[in-house]
Amino acid sequence: MRGKTILLVAAMALVGSLYGSSMAADTLAGVKAKGVLVAGVKDSLPPFGSVDPNTKEYVGYDIDFIKYIAKKLGVKVEFKPVTSANRMPMLMESRVDILAATMTKNPERAKQIDFSYTYFLTGQKFLTKKGTVKSLKDLEGKKIATAKGSTSEQNVKKSVPSATILSFDDYPQGVLALQQGKAIAVTTDESILAGQLGKLEKNPATKGRYEIPDVQISEEPYGLGMRKGDAKFVKFVNDAILEMEKTGEAKKIFERWFGPNSDSPINRGSFAIAADKRGT
Amino acid sequence: METALDFRVVWEYLSYFFIGRYPKGPVGGVALTLYLAAVSLVFSFLGGLVLGLLSVSRNRPVRWASMAVIQTIRGMPLLMVIFWMFFLLPALFGGGMPASWTVITALTLFTSAYMSEIVRAGIMGIPKGQTEAAVSTGLSHRQTMLHIVLPQALRNMIPSFVNQFVSMIKDTSLAFIVGVSELTQIANQVNNRTMLFPTEIFLFIAVVYFIMCFAFTELSRWLERRLAYSKAI
Repeated sequence: MRGKTILLVAAMALVGSLYGSSMAADTLAGVKAKGVLVAGVKDSLPPFGSVDPNTKEYVGYDIDFIKYIAKKLGVKVEFKPVTSANRMPMLMESRVDILAATMTKNPERAKQIDFSYTYFLTGQKFLTKKGTVKSLKDLEGKKIATAKGSTSEQNVKKSVPSATILSFDDYPQGVLALQQGKAIAVTTDESILAGQLGKLEKNPATKGRYEIPDVQISEEPYGLGMRKGDAKFVKFVNDAILEMEKTGEAKKIFERWFGPNSDSPINRGSFAIAADKRGT
Repeated sequence: METALDFRVVWEYLSYFFIGRYPKGPVGGVALTLYLAAVSLVFSFLGGLVLGLLSVSRNRPVRWASMAVIQTIRGMPLLMVIFWMFFLLPALFGGGMPASWTVITALTLFTSAYMSEIVRAGIMGIPKGQTEAAVSTGLSHRQTMLHIVLPQALRNMIPSFVNQFVSMIKDTSLAFIVGVSELTQIANQVNNRTMLFPTEIFLFIAVVYFIMCFAFTELSRWLERRLAYSKAI
């Protein structure tokens, strides 16, 4: 991960030096003029964004939001795959008009780009064997697995200082440690844990033996990314997603990808898209 | 917990592995990997030849300039070159450049630098007597290089070229960093969707990479034998 960060910083410096202060173009008028909304999305991160190999179309939670916005604009939509490392430069260089790529809103990012209201809210939780953990107290002094160098690692060290943190290269190894009893829990964003739980549920040997208890130690609000200072476009997108919430479309999309019958079921709880200030 | 390998996942996603989103979107998978490799191969052969000839030039500033370029590119990780080209090229030539061409440019630059050293070694490996004999028959320096030294040198370089090209076929997998959906990226996508069959998926693409590299090596062996008939030294 550290290598990627260095690359990102280098790329940002490069882009910055080539463009100077980026001009606030009118994206809304530009998109309408060319008749297509170019969206940067993840192409290998179900259920947010991935390619359905049968239809060969992009599908996912992020995709459905973009489709709605494009429909409201009355334009066609073109998806461009982005990675966590190149998504912000792609947006700032105008190679995409909008980002729907599981981006957590935070003050550092908000200095470079503008975010919509929160369209997906997740938080750092724990995956455990059923009934073993009911509150943070149950984790004290125990071993907890997570991924090396992640924000999840830092958060859990703060929340449960007495626990021993086992840091693996990736989350599936952490899940293996949990299965073998080497750790009492695996911790990261609930949306990732739900996918891992879904995998355990598919396996007859582990079905029904694991859960994600309602213990949250941090909040991760995802926002749609737009170029800095393009107030008209930001307002249009915000109005669109507020409308989606009002008409029930947002809930329907959530149920499609995260509902009880999906591969990564999670609870929407009290979350609703609103004019929030999360992550700023 | 582990059960026997289940390759049905590969069968189910076969068309996706080979041509990606085509015809609904851009070509990907094996087809894109071959395209990236083939185009970069042609360009880096020419690039390597030019850089290599410049680096044995009798003109000192030209020689130093080309050596500086070669050393700079060789001193960078390929991943970094790909990432830089991805941002640099559209900034220089406008945003219309497809991501796959930024990868081709990066692969070409990188491989040319390595190839030029092979070319230089090949030229320097031809005995001096050949040049002296050619010059004494009245050929110019350029003619000597073109008709006497290069034909012999290039033949000797074939095994090293093949080495470099096979390495480049595999290097196309680094295109994932900028989201180009070549074979490795496709495998990641399928794996992230299915979650249950990583062993099967990555075993399959390993075999595909092997077949591509092996076929290329065999082709060049055949070429080598064809060209061996008039070998002088």
